[in-house]
Amino acid sequence: MAIINSFLDTMASLAAESGFAGFLVEGGWKNIIMILISFVFMYLAVAKGFEPLLLLPISFGMLLTNLPNAGLYHPEFWEYIKGTHNINYGRILQEGGLLDILYMGVKLQVYPPLIFLGIGAMTDFGPLIASPKSFLLGAAAQGGIFFTFVGAALFGMSAAECGSIAIIGGADGPTSIYVSSRLLTDNSSIGVGTIALAAYTYMALVPIIQPPIMKALTTKKERSVVMGQLRPVSKTEKLIFPVLVTIIISLMVPSAAPLVGMLMFGNLLKESGVCDRLVKTAQNELMNIITIFLGVTVGATTQADKIMNIQFAEVMALGVVAFSLGTACGVLLGKLMYVLSGKKINPLIGSAGVSAVPMAARISQKVGQEEVPTNYLLMHAMGPNVAGVIGSAVAAGVLLTIVR
Amino acid sequence: MNYILNSAAQVLSGKSTIPPDQDHLGAGTVASVVITGIVVVFIALILLILLVTIYGSIFKVINNRKAKKAEDAKKADEKAKTVETKPQQEAKVTIPVVEDGIEEETVAVIMAAISAMSSASGKNLVLKSVKTAKPQRSAWSAAGIIENTRPF
Repeated sequence: MAIINSFLDTMASLAAESGFAGFLVEGGWKNIIMILISFVFMYLAVAKGFEPLLLLPISFGMLLTNLPNAGLYHPEFWEYIKGTHNINYGRILQEGGLLDILYMGVKLQVYPPLIFLGIGAMTDFGPLIASPKSFLLGAAAQGGIFFTFVGAALFGMSAAECGSIAIIGGADGPTSIYVSSRLLTDNSSIGVGTIALAAYTYMALVPIIQPPIMKALTTKKERSVVMGQLRPVSKTEKLIFPVLVTIIISLMVPSAAPLVGMLMFGNLLKESGVCDRLVKTAQNELMNIITIFLGVTVGATTQADKIMNIQFAEVMALGVVAFSLGTACGVLLGKLMYVLSGKKINPLIGSAGVSAVPMAARISQKVGQEEVPTNYLLMHAMGPNVAGVIGSAVAAGVLLTIVR
Repeated sequence: MNYILNSAAQVLSGKSTIPPDQDHLGAGTVASVVITGIVVVFIALILLILLVTIYGSIFKVINNRKAKKAEDAKKADEKAKTVETKPQQEAKVTIPVVEDGIEEETVAVIMAAISAMSSASGKNLVLKSVKTAKPQRSAWSAAGIIENTRPF
């Protein structure tokens, strides 16, 4: 009899500790909905090919974190110690789950700069060096960031939330995560995961969001401008560029230094031609490892109470506004340059100023070819495109300097 | 307007920051964020345009000079050569003997490849004739060779 009793007791306590019981406690239903939402994002990533390399890890992180009692991620560990702006990292190291430990890389701003290292090692700044005026288009497209800041402020959001939502307009995932993980406090009604979800979803939607805006703002004549070949760029120029940019940007906006510094370090490794092994690691293994860590932990921050609120809808709405404004600002400056250059610049390359490398540049190419099938805008659009990466890193630095 | 400029100046100098948790940002604060942000981004990137343009043009000058020097040296070389070996120069422009049945395009492609290689290696290569290659072995002997040289 005693054996049966103890068996029943054990079974009862196992059942009480199981995740199923977790769904039944107060607020447990929210986790079920979150898990269903994670399925939606998994579907988008796998079946629709929406930035699968990031959305799939993010959505799986979302699933893991919403399994009751699994203890992979503890939002309460990340609250500030009362009266300070510090997090009790000792506690996380001692009691944290797997995703808590990995999330330290996001919170301590380690992952996004490392991703930038890989991006730098993959980027060719040649088109930008050949045509430095593309920098202007990369700068203009950052207008989306700052105008969205206004929109978010109109919703009555806090400064941290405004900045985090605005940076989505930079169309740069790592930068968005970098800024939002630094700005958002435990009082914020949105989490880093929300920002990342919005940023990556819209980056995947760039081919749908951008073309109508580009077509609405330009005339057929403007879109038909055929641009000649870019001048070849010597190796020495390509070597000087990353060093120069690092020094100038880091001195001007010190808070952009981690992002720009690593981006340019990766690029210098690539252009030097003598660090083949390091370049390969930065482009592939390191980048992939960090992408997995980043995706799954950022997904883990999407706790039910940070997603299932009105702010999530606001973030998604403002995110698309941010993207559209960025595109519009780029195209409009492109139009100005079209006039000033004596109709030599095709304004379509302006939209590539939002980072989203190389998708945005490909859109410029595609829309341009719809008018003139033999027009190859791709390399011309790559200039503003990579300038946009630098531009959004600078914009991130500005936001981090202002809001703190 | 003055207020906006003032707050922009304060933000730029790092004196005025907005605490992350501050709600309901005033119009002045928001405007100063927008203006500062756009201005700083543009200044940073315009500075880069200037520097990249400057060093780009410096390199253009250097490259042009190098190219000119190389060209001058080449010209001088050629002049010396033409004086010494005039008949050879004529031989260089001989039209290659092309077998019947080979298309002009094929010959053009071969010549283009040769001229590309000769400019890279610095040697003057000449195409003298184009013939169709004849199979060197009969099918039987080729089969025999393959049979005997096949690895395990």
